[in-house]
Amino acid sequence: MEAAGRAILEDVNAMAPAGGATVLMGPNGAGKTTLLHCLLGETAHGGRIVLEGGGRRIAHVPQQLVVERGLPLSVREFLALGAQRRPLWLGVSAAARRTGRRLLEAVDAAELEQRRLGELSGGELRRVLLAEALGHDPDLLVLDEAEAGVDVHGERLFWEVLDAARRERGFTLIMVSHNLPLAAHYATHVICLDRRVLAEGAPRETLTAPLLLTLFGVPIHLYPDQCGLAGPSCPQCGALSTPDHIAAGAPGAPGCCPLRDRRHP
Amino acid sequence: MTSLLAAACDVLGLLPLDCLEPRFMRQALLALLLLTPMTSMLGVQVTLYRMAFFSDAVGHSAFAGVALGLLLGAPPDAAMLVFGVLVGLAVMAVQRTSGLSADTAIGIIFSAVVAFGLAVVSRASGLGRQMGQFLYGDILTVGDGEIAALACLLLLLLLFEIAGWNRLLAMALSPVTARVQGIHTAFWHYLFAGLLALVVMFSVRAVGVLLMTALLVVPAATARNLARSAGGMFWWSLAVGVSSGAAGLLLSAQDWLATASGATVVLVACAWFAVSCCVRARRGARRG
Repeated sequence: MEAAGRAILEDVNAMAPAGGATVLMGPNGAGKTTLLHCLLGETAHGGRIVLEGGGRRIAHVPQQLVVERGLPLSVREFLALGAQRRPLWLGVSAAARRTGRRLLEAVDAAELEQRRLGELSGGELRRVLLAEALGHDPDLLVLDEAEAGVDVHGERLFWEVLDAARRERGFTLIMVSHNLPLAAHYATHVICLDRRVLAEGAPRETLTAPLLLTLFGVPIHLYPDQCGLAGPSCPQCGALSTPDHIAAGAPGAPGCCPLRDRRHP
Repeated sequence: MTSLLAAACDVLGLLPLDCLEPRFMRQALLALLLLTPMTSMLGVQVTLYRMAFFSDAVGHSAFAGVALGLLLGAPPDAAMLVFGVLVGLAVMAVQRTSGLSADTAIGIIFSAVVAFGLAVVSRASGLGRQMGQFLYGDILTVGDGEIAALACLLLLLLLFEIAGWNRLLAMALSPVTARVQGIHTAFWHYLFAGLLALVVMFSVRAVGVLLMTALLVVPAATARNLARSAGGMFWWSLAVGVSSGAAGLLLSAQDWLATASGATVVLVACAWFAVSCCVRARRGARRG
């Protein structure tokens, strides 16, 4: 895959397990979005993408919508766009309303039904976009940094509802994310990309400190046992290096990785 | 079709308005009642896609189309329509395929068609007279053939809006997601551009190139302020556009006003917009 004579992606050979949550990771310009666009058929490429299994329905959650704040498009109408053939100016059908409510409940956003799309916060909008994508009953759900620009609470909530929906509906998830801790927590498979695949596999085994150093050029460790400096003196543990915090040994704050004990089975 | 339109003209003559006694006034009113629903419906999408400049470029190609028709010995009105549609499709093609920003792409084609029109005018004698009609429009001279064409176009556009409204909105919100959902975005973009170009050409005939964009943008912008939903925006835009067209024409024919019909239509629409801004501000104040 080339653009303006420059290789964007080369020798990319990776897989995303069916029914799993695969996260593409890498620095800016690594080709993550390009790879997603190849998958969606948006970008021409010289490779081969094989979707195994029975289903072929793909849904996409964009990073952002082109929506002006003044546009009086309600969440209910937005969800009806994909659920009814009747033009919106003839009203939202009862069936589309029911479907919309069900989808909003699935993403913990039932209260947003009558709100305008342009008035939603970043986190609310992402969950509505997710609801819309789920409405297509996808076999493969593709997200491009769909949680970017959302506050910590909103981002965490987004990952939770996404993970719950995947487990309940069984679709395959492929997404780009820059949030390493949350990706490491919720992903079942990660692909580390920097124009080519540097590593792929289960997060625990793949996201090693040396690999993250190679990938991002800065020392990062996601798991306590990756820390070369055991204890609170490690300068790379960020907020978690606060001696009191670690010394307290409080539940939910075990060493370097607060998510460790809350990982899903 | 012609007898149906003649009957519609006669029905308009039953209205208790002296200004509608002349047949040309009834024809002008009928033409506006057919044209303004189209500009209002498409205007919603023009504002969604931020395509006011696109409409301007297509509108400005009208004069070049007329000039080309006269040079080639083709009927000027037909040449104007065909040339306008070709310019519309060309703008859309450049916009979709070139790396240029939409504004730049449109600006280049805009300049080219205006320069071409002026070059032709500067060489051919007698074309200068057409310039006035091109700039200010002249709905009062609309003929039976044009009214019949407007009626057919309105029918076509209604079918387009029924089949394409949801798709065009989805495309405006996220083109990539729309394509993933199976919407053939290229087909709908070109169809939209072609229909818009046709409606723009008729609008130039009605209100002139200087005010043509207002027929598309002002009712839709007013509808945004007044509507509480996207569906409501469609109906508000229709209501504002059609009422502005009818009221503007009737007001312009009053002895105490005696203004140009196209300009009066646009002024009424702008008055609607001013009212809508007050309503919006009031709603905002209530919400606190």
